[in-house]
Amino acid sequence: MKYKPYLYLAPALLVLTIFFLGGLVFALLQSFGYFPVLGLTQFTLKYYLLVVKQKEFMASLTFTLYIAFVSTFLSTIIAIYLANYMVNLKQKNKVIDFMYKLPIAVPHIVAALMIVFLISQGGFLARIFINLGVINESGQFPPVFYSRNAIGIITIYMWKEIPFITLMIYTVMKNIHGKLNDVAATLKASPWQVFFQVTLPLSMPSIISASAIVFAFSFGAFEIPFLLGATYPKALPVWAYYNYISPDLYNRPIAMVITIILTSVCVMLVGLYYLFMKKYLRQWG
Amino acid sequence: MGVSMDKKQLVHKIIVMIFFILLMSPFLILLLWAFSKVWTAGSIFPHDWGLRGWQYILNPQNKILSVIGTSIFLSLAVTLVATIISIPAGKALGLYDFPGKNIVEILVLAPIIIPPITIGMGIHVIFIKYGLVDTFLGVLLIHLVVVMPYGIRIFASVYKAMGLKWEEQSKILKANNWQRFIYVTLPFLKPGLITSGILMFNVSFSQYFLTFLIGGGKIVTLPLVLFPYINSGDRVIGSVISLIFILIALIFMFIIERVITDPKQKSSYYYL
Amino acid sequence: MTKKLRKLLFILLILIIVLPVAGCGNDKGEVLEEDVLEQDWDLIVASAQGTTVNFYMWGGDDRINSWVDNYVSQTMQETYNITVNRVPMDAPEFINKLLGEKQVNRQKGSIDLLWINGENFRTARQAEMLWGPFAEKIPNFNEYVDTDALDIAFDFGFPVEGFEVPYGKAQFAFTHDTARVSNPPRSSSELMEWVKANPGRFTYPEMPDFTGSVFIRHLMYELCGGYEAFPYVEEVNIEDLNEQLQPLWAYLNDIKPYLWRQGETYPSQIAQLDQLFTDGEVDFTMTYHPSRFSGMIDQGLVPDTVRTFVWDQGTIGNTHFLAIPFNAPNKGGAMVLANFLMSPEAQISKYDPTNWGDMIALDINKLEEKYIQEIESTDLGIATLSAEELANHRLPEIASAYIQVIEDLWRDNVIKE
Repeated sequence: MKYKPYLYLAPALLVLTIFFLGGLVFALLQSFGYFPVLGLTQFTLKYYLLVVKQKEFMASLTFTLYIAFVSTFLSTIIAIYLANYMVNLKQKNKVIDFMYKLPIAVPHIVAALMIVFLISQGGFLARIFINLGVINESGQFPPVFYSRNAIGIITIYMWKEIPFITLMIYTVMKNIHGKLNDVAATLKASPWQVFFQVTLPLSMPSIISASAIVFAFSFGAFEIPFLLGATYPKALPVWAYYNYISPDLYNRPIAMVITIILTSVCVMLVGLYYLFMKKYLRQWG
Repeated sequence: MGVSMDKKQLVHKIIVMIFFILLMSPFLILLLWAFSKVWTAGSIFPHDWGLRGWQYILNPQNKILSVIGTSIFLSLAVTLVATIISIPAGKALGLYDFPGKNIVEILVLAPIIIPPITIGMGIHVIFIKYGLVDTFLGVLLIHLVVVMPYGIRIFASVYKAMGLKWEEQSKILKANNWQRFIYVTLPFLKPGLITSGILMFNVSFSQYFLTFLIGGGKIVTLPLVLFPYINSGDRVIGSVISLIFILIALIFMFIIERVITDPKQKSSYYYL
Repeated sequence: MTKKLRKLLFILLILIIVLPVAGCGNDKGEVLEEDVLEQDWDLIVASAQGTTVNFYMWGGDDRINSWVDNYVSQTMQETYNITVNRVPMDAPEFINKLLGEKQVNRQKGSIDLLWINGENFRTARQAEMLWGPFAEKIPNFNEYVDTDALDIAFDFGFPVEGFEVPYGKAQFAFTHDTARVSNPPRSSSELMEWVKANPGRFTYPEMPDFTGSVFIRHLMYELCGGYEAFPYVEEVNIEDLNEQLQPLWAYLNDIKPYLWRQGETYPSQIAQLDQLFTDGEVDFTMTYHPSRFSGMIDQGLVPDTVRTFVWDQGTIGNTHFLAIPFNAPNKGGAMVLANFLMSPEAQISKYDPTNWGDMIALDINKLEEKYIQEIESTDLGIATLSAEELANHRLPEIASAYIQVIEDLWRDNVIKE
């Protein structure tokens, strides 16, 4: 009987070990220059040094971190606000309840397409401004795509992430609200106090979990920065990809180095985030 | 005190309304483009309405219909296999304590945190070596990796909420395994089946990079067709493909909720 | 579910996953490539009946895709009972794919026919990724092509040696809207003046897009001593080349602040530049196919005031080709398709701007009278320059060995701060 859980886990573990761990391990090996098919069997750190020394590396890393932090932070704040609003409604608003979940069903690239149609320099908003005489030509509309401010990319992420985080924290918040609202009311606490001292801390675990997932996603995402990013710097996943498809085969280990660094930074940040938040929660008792 | 409360509520209400207008506006633009024929630069509304985009989609020479079929079939297969694997895995994590549980939990959750490009690029050469590239099976396997964590997580919470007592009770009442599953476990699993089914289908259906890399151009799914239209190309066609994309995702959500939901059970827990 | 049933399912699952993986392994089966080259052409055609040919080609132009999906697919189906499966993939990507397959010695690949030229052909040949030589087996190659011509026997200076067959010819041209710009710049100095007078209205695709790449080569010819200053070499010395190209980098950095987005970012592909042009965000775009815009005018995709033009010094022309990978599963079928694409009928259909507008790769002296008449009566469209004007302004490409290096140096000198 003791092996029962292992049996249940076996198929899942099989798939995950072979394909997930396998992929990770092979990426790691190749990043150390272990490439038997190319004749390279020596483990070496030279590719790591090569990558880290490049100016492009810091530029890409900073750019990727910027996009991930800003979109995650803003999405989380807005999602908390929205979830709290919905939780405080006297009656469940069916319209809002349906509408906010729609973007979750929309794939990221479709979201990208729609938002490009809306806010790019050749897009709908720009055309309205031109017709209203606010600007004379599309070049005067703020450039949010293919630009270093990455506002377009951040907007696309936020459009998807706010509903996702809201969904993940709403139920939890609602439960807390249901149980403790009356208690707080009897104690004559103001809505602010209830929110900041009760609801928020108690919802923290799911807020952290949701924002960690979202951060990891936006940090490691490839499609959107590939299509809509600037020429320089490229987001880390995009830079890795260009190295991967370079006709110079010796760029392959470099591509792997970039992905391993990408992965490590991601894991580290998420780990730190969890640790930090655990400490914070412990303070609240 | 009553007045200032109302004002505050009004402000919040307006903010939320503006937010929702912003959230929904991209859909409207999409609809405008999907039904236009010619929409030249600079004008706010299309010059000509028409179904040109839809004709393009329906033209068998353009193969869009078969791509849609492939995508749906692939994602359904992925969801099915992933569900079958995730349920027992979720049970193990939700109900049992065993040595190595922590490691397993990390392994199961890792694909959500670790960027898919690392896994894809890392395993690509191995897939080539074992003939898994350019095949349906290869793409299915790599999709499983990114999709399973969600499923396992959901079923783990479902089983945890259910607890062991139901199973024990029914054992005492001499129900056999099959009866136990149908009458006790399944009703508990249903909300989880819905949520995980929708989530896993969506993740697989929206996947671009892994399908592109492992599929090698032979396995063509809807995201691959849509990809070049994001930053260039005929916006009418791009919009129609996007609309179809959204419709399929919504239809699937709708179907799965209808098929699985017990009308008596109105749980809206999402178990994430 | 009974324990037994569950165990059974579990085993089944393992089998489903493991068997195909084990079964595939290394396909070291004897591929009958030698035999195909020995066979009679009629036998090759007969054996290819009922098969599918996977044609991997650049997918960035909807009109080309349409022509292949409609005219080519239909005719191949009707005439030879062969299904053409067009797979859109950029050359660097399928080169990368083949590289991976070559690494693990995958004998049965998924690509049958490739659309390729220039530095990609060179990479492919150096890595021994192509099958051949097969050109002399193709009837239309022998019958209609000027096999000794420099731009047929050499691809960017690299010897073809029968490993690819000519598909079409292209020549670079600029495009503008005469309603917006009446007197476009026709040299690098005129361009410099123009961008300074019209900031933000010009840009070019970033490297390694092939149109962007050829664009800066035009500047390179004008500023660094012409194509003669870049003789054919097998390998390029990066430092020496960088020195030689200093005037080019100086120019590109000088015009940078006057470009679209102040030159801080560039369209990643030609399709994006075209989009900027049609959206009215910039005033010029570029193309390797001068008749393309005539076709687009007919389709109502651009206004009828759009015209193409070349620079006074001329623009670069090249030939593009079809090749067969070392591990193509259907080499016979690929050859039949290649033969068809080189037939006068297909070439003339391709030449028509309402389809693609790509120039004919065949030797006009070898064509029958009726084909010559068809060609001459083809309406090239109002936006296209005459064949003579193009021919009079045609410059050759330089050795493919330079291309990648120039593209890398561009990033170092112009992009990175």
